[in-house]
Amino acid sequence: MNRLKKHVQKMLEQTQSANGEREELWEELLNHLEEAKQHYMDEGLTEKQAEKRAIAEFGNSNSAGHQLQEAMYPYQRGLLYVMGIGTILFGVLYFVNAAFLQHDPIPVWLAIQFFTGSLITLAAINISFAGRYFYLLHLALFANVIWNGINLLTIQGSQWQIIIFGIYALLLVGMGIVAIIRNSYFSSNLIDNKQQKHGLVLTSYIVNLLFGIAVVCVSLFFLWAYFFAMGRSLFALLTVTPILIWIIIYKFQMGYIARKPLISMMTGFGFSVLSIAVPLSVLILIPGRWL
Amino acid sequence: MSLKMKNISFIIGMLLLFFVLWGTGSLAEAPEGFTGFGQETDISPDDSELVFSYFHGDDSALYTVPVDGGKAELVKKPAEGKSYSNPTFSPDGDQIAFIEKWKTDERRYYQLRIFNRKRQTIEQRINADGYVTEAAFSPNGQSLYFLKADVFKSYSSITGARPHEFDIFRMDLTSGETEQLTDKKAYTMSSLEVTSDGKQLMYRTSQKSADQLVVRSIDSNHGKTIVPEGDFASDSRIISSPALSPDGKQMAFTSVATKDENGTFIYEAFKMDMETKQAKQMTSFYEHVTNPVFFHNQDKLIVTVDNNFAGGEPDNSYWQVSMDSEERHRVSIEMPKEKGQ
Repeated sequence: MNRLKKHVQKMLEQTQSANGEREELWEELLNHLEEAKQHYMDEGLTEKQAEKRAIAEFGNSNSAGHQLQEAMYPYQRGLLYVMGIGTILFGVLYFVNAAFLQHDPIPVWLAIQFFTGSLITLAAINISFAGRYFYLLHLALFANVIWNGINLLTIQGSQWQIIIFGIYALLLVGMGIVAIIRNSYFSSNLIDNKQQKHGLVLTSYIVNLLFGIAVVCVSLFFLWAYFFAMGRSLFALLTVTPILIWIIIYKFQMGYIARKPLISMMTGFGFSVLSIAVPLSVLILIPGRWL
Repeated sequence: MSLKMKNISFIIGMLLLFFVLWGTGSLAEAPEGFTGFGQETDISPDDSELVFSYFHGDDSALYTVPVDGGKAELVKKPAEGKSYSNPTFSPDGDQIAFIEKWKTDERRYYQLRIFNRKRQTIEQRINADGYVTEAAFSPNGQSLYFLKADVFKSYSSITGARPHEFDIFRMDLTSGETEQLTDKKAYTMSSLEVTSDGKQLMYRTSQKSADQLVVRSIDSNHGKTIVPEGDFASDSRIISSPALSPDGKQMAFTSVATKDENGTFIYEAFKMDMETKQAKQMTSFYEHVTNPVFFHNQDKLIVTVDNNFAGGEPDNSYWQVSMDSEERHRVSIEMPKEKGQ
């Protein structure tokens, strides 16, 4: 790979673009560099000197890549960093609080907290990879939001500890939901320039994600109710299958929302209801396992 | 730094942070718990010994010490996680009734136990389904009266969970039969005593947030309420840990004598003439005084003084106080060393 291609590749490592968009950018940036190189060669520089000059004029690959990312996906990478590091910091503060003030630290909880926070931080570091696999980033964000939501509901301590950690967890959940909506919207890669269509698509993503939040809440409620009524059992896992079904369906919904935003709100509702109804019917039909 | 190095550094950093926190968390010691003297005491029938509970890491064991102070002797130590409290001597001094307390994930347990000093054994005469909080022997030593609550719950965010719905029970110590004497389901009931003639019971209860003393006949439901009159510093009536003198003519209790600069109640011991109901302050510790216990053959009593009432954990000491209020001295106690210390 020649010097120009390496420079473009380094730049693109800092951007979140999906595969199609990445190829276009690759072509465009490389052409630009090639033209500049040709220009300097025409002025009498050697090929090597012209390449160096063209690259110098283009700017440092890291900072140029960052600028490109911010221009195309404003604040998205920063949001991921804040969420990821915020989740890790929550883990540190809550674990230290649990260890020294409540004398009940739970290392497994800390491991899960670090894992979800690290996934988001790694996505921010490897933003180019996250851009190519929008859906994986979605999964990491979903896991993070659900986990921080569980944290929000299970915080223990004095009234002030509950208030402070509660606000912190609520901020993390809020940021997570915003990041998912933005990630969905960016992944649609809208070429259409009509502002109205963009607004509708964004609304459809928000509505679909609200359905998703409802599915998560219903599932976790049933999980809690199952533990409360029946005790711990493998069948309890059936209560969280709506979340898994919804996440899988959402992979296909993502593309559909971009094309048919209005209809996809209705299909999203239908799939959400189905994702709850199917596993719960199975649970009810198993004799002696429920009710 | 290359992207690969950034990833590796981040993952290693996170793993290190996790293990450091895990190690630090496991090193964070569990709280040692309260160590010190318990509140409730009792004096042996011959006035020679004081029995008390002593906490070590939240578990309390029973000890005796000469009433004038000296080396404490272990009576009985419970299994780990359990506590012995509220000791009461039998009239012959051979037995000590007390409450064994412990808790599991599901509930708390308050069970009545009797320690036989000659045999050095603990007898479990009943297995109560509720919460037995204290007991009192009849003067002839044939019956044991006790208070039992049906529930352990919080009715108020201020007080936290505690036993409620109390009633009085009697156990025949020969046959082991138990009968329920009252059907009050009282919000609170404490300081159960049997009068020296063995015909009446006295206990403390409350009505509309005001404490009251009740003296009731054992054989009939007839009872009367006693309200001490005196110079108390609290708006609502507070009568804490009342105790009858051996001749039944006087009663000692503690109540709010004044408030300190922070508005914290200062409890002192009062004595009340049972006929006139006139109460008179008899101690001036300017600390939290509780649990007066009369000597059987001397004109004095022992009170518990908490020097850290406003703080988190009590700092109790026991004091002999003469009934004329002129003399007082601390019962200095030398605790035996725990095995392994």
